[in-house]
Amino acid sequence: MNPKILVIDDDNALREMVGIVLAASGFEPKYCPDGNQALSIFESEQPDLVLLDVMLPGKDGITVCQEIRNLSGTPIIMLTAKSDTNDVVLGLEAGADDYIVKPFQPGELTARIKARLRPLTSSEAIVNLGPLTLDLDGHQVLRGGKQISLTPLEFNLLLTLAQKPKQVFTREVLLEKVWGYQYKADTRLVNVHVQRLRSKIEEDPDNPKIIKTVRGIGYRAG
Amino acid sequence: MLRLLRRSVQARAVATTVALSSVLLVVLGGFLSFSIGNGLFDARLKQVLAESEVAVLDAQNIFAASSVSDEVALQTLMNSVVPRLEATGLADSRRVALLRSPGQTGAQILQSPISSGLDTALISPAFRSEVRSSTGRVLYQSIQLSQTENGVITSNPGIVVGSPLDIPLAGDHELYLVFDLSSEQQTLSFVQQTLFIGGLAIILIIGGVAYLVTGWIVRPVKVAAEVSEEIADGALDVRLLEKGEDVVAVLARSFNKMADSLEQKITKLATVSKMQQRFVSDVSHELRTPLTTIKLAGDLIFEARDDLDPQLRRSAELMQGQIERFEILLRDLLEISKYDAGAVLPELEIHDLKQLVTSAVSSIEPLARKRGSELRFELPEGEVLAELDSRRIDRLIGNLLANAIEHGEGKPITVAVGVTSDAVAVRVTDQGVGMSESELQRVFDRFWRADPARKRTSGGTGLGLAISLEDTLLHGGSLDVWAKPNEGASFRLTLPKVQGEPVTASPLPLPETEISSTREKPE
Repeated sequence: MNPKILVIDDDNALREMVGIVLAASGFEPKYCPDGNQALSIFESEQPDLVLLDVMLPGKDGITVCQEIRNLSGTPIIMLTAKSDTNDVVLGLEAGADDYIVKPFQPGELTARIKARLRPLTSSEAIVNLGPLTLDLDGHQVLRGGKQISLTPLEFNLLLTLAQKPKQVFTREVLLEKVWGYQYKADTRLVNVHVQRLRSKIEEDPDNPKIIKTVRGIGYRAG
Repeated sequence: MLRLLRRSVQARAVATTVALSSVLLVVLGGFLSFSIGNGLFDARLKQVLAESEVAVLDAQNIFAASSVSDEVALQTLMNSVVPRLEATGLADSRRVALLRSPGQTGAQILQSPISSGLDTALISPAFRSEVRSSTGRVLYQSIQLSQTENGVITSNPGIVVGSPLDIPLAGDHELYLVFDLSSEQQTLSFVQQTLFIGGLAIILIIGGVAYLVTGWIVRPVKVAAEVSEEIADGALDVRLLEKGEDVVAVLARSFNKMADSLEQKITKLATVSKMQQRFVSDVSHELRTPLTTIKLAGDLIFEARDDLDPQLRRSAELMQGQIERFEILLRDLLEISKYDAGAVLPELEIHDLKQLVTSAVSSIEPLARKRGSELRFELPEGEVLAELDSRRIDRLIGNLLANAIEHGEGKPITVAVGVTSDAVAVRVTDQGVGMSESELQRVFDRFWRADPARKRTSGGTGLGLAISLEDTLLHGGSLDVWAKPNEGASFRLTLPKVQGEPVTASPLPLPETEISSTREKPE
């Protein structure tokens, strides 16, 4: 079955055009024209990934993003016209996994979607990191027997760091391994998601014990 | 104290007033004290002389009327003269000496009677000889009388009056009367003291009055200065209190009027600026969404161009190229409007300039190869570290390289990197068409192209160098150009190693005539 992509955008032409591009690449597009309907369509369609315009009539994209994130960890990619404003950081903090700046090319869009839908690969079934246990088959993280709810991206980020504990990952390396960027991308993606991950797995997110910052270089686990 | 004088108009005015009135009072007091002293002395002198004449006459009469014939009787007579002429008492003491003139034939047989406590050394020999040679007139001289009282030596002014006196049988004598002027001195001292205290009081009063009066004048000015300061600091709604009809009220009214219009202008400008920024932001979103659709559609058509007939295929290719151009133009326009709105902040990090040059070169190498331009390098040893926004500097170097390739006519292009203790530099030099003097002047203007007739091969927007200049200024650096028609052009970017630090000289030279882009960074 083809992956289902929900396109939430108020621009009719762009929405349809994105749908054509997605269909041509083997995805099944679903549409939503505004923010108010977004959540109900999301629940009825159960898409594999959401493309979300930041500026929407009705509920804005940031709110929609938060609401979807409250329901599930479904990957969300934001569409934005303004890459260097606060919108991007707000969107990422609201739970978006990645963003694409308009205008984009078809190849760029499909590459970003595929990177988010790519299944995890690991030789081990269970990875231990400090007090955490990563169960790859069950796709869940346990802390003292209690399950911690992570999005696929957060799971991927944690797994990448946990597979090579003590090794320092630069933000660029993480962008390549976790987000699938081949060229230089926005390091804010890494910063925001490490913060989100810490807030879920660390006892004291301001004083992290599991994912540590290596000043001027990047992050390491343990 | 000096600082206070420099800083406060009021302190300066008070100090000046006090100083000037002090000088005036000292002069006036000196004159008064001098003339009072003179007056006192003259009055006393007149009295002294009159008394002395009476006394001398009295003494002469005594001796003339006497009919003593023996020495003992004469001595007794002489001795009686002195106490008769004496006057005691603190205020008007008068002491007497009857001295025998020296240089007479015959030995002195009689004693010279002298009042007790009178020191004859006070009567100088010069005065005595003057007295001897005078005929019948009394002479006087001012002297200083010393007095020892309780071990303290005090000095009082005095007058000695002398007159020759012929004593029968005893020969030429001189009668001296010594007057004490201490009471006059006391009066004078008292007057002087009164003058001094009075003067001091007047100065203090003048100072106080000056302080009050200047305060009335200075206070509104001071308030106006404070209010201006507040307005300058951004509190645009602060105003002065308008009260009365005088010049201060006029000042307050016109100041407030000025502040009103200033506030209006600033508010209006701020609104316009905000609207402009808002407009740019809206345009960005509004234009980018349809452009995305066009781009996606164009790309699908372009990818399928092989299935189209030749005319449609060419159309698809042309459209694809122009969509890309439109996108770049939009991107550049947004970038420059962001600069115009003053909304650009550099993301500074330490980077190796050599590495940035290498990466910029590698991405533009295909174009250089296509145009037949050989790229040559002059790079220093080691890393060339500087604090910069890598995205902007990468774009800037790429832009300089693209320009050099476009105008380089396939001739070699030299890329040099330089470094000194406080600056780093990149210089890109081509040997192509170059520019004339007048073209050089406009090289950083927006949408300006060196030769409008020349075909636009690399699809520049005409905003490249304008953005490069803004990027340079954002870093506190300078972008300098040298060019000569048909000889080539050289662009040199100089950046400070540490942001905010001054640059003494660029690490790389430029050929003689150059135009410098260094201008004041707008606030």
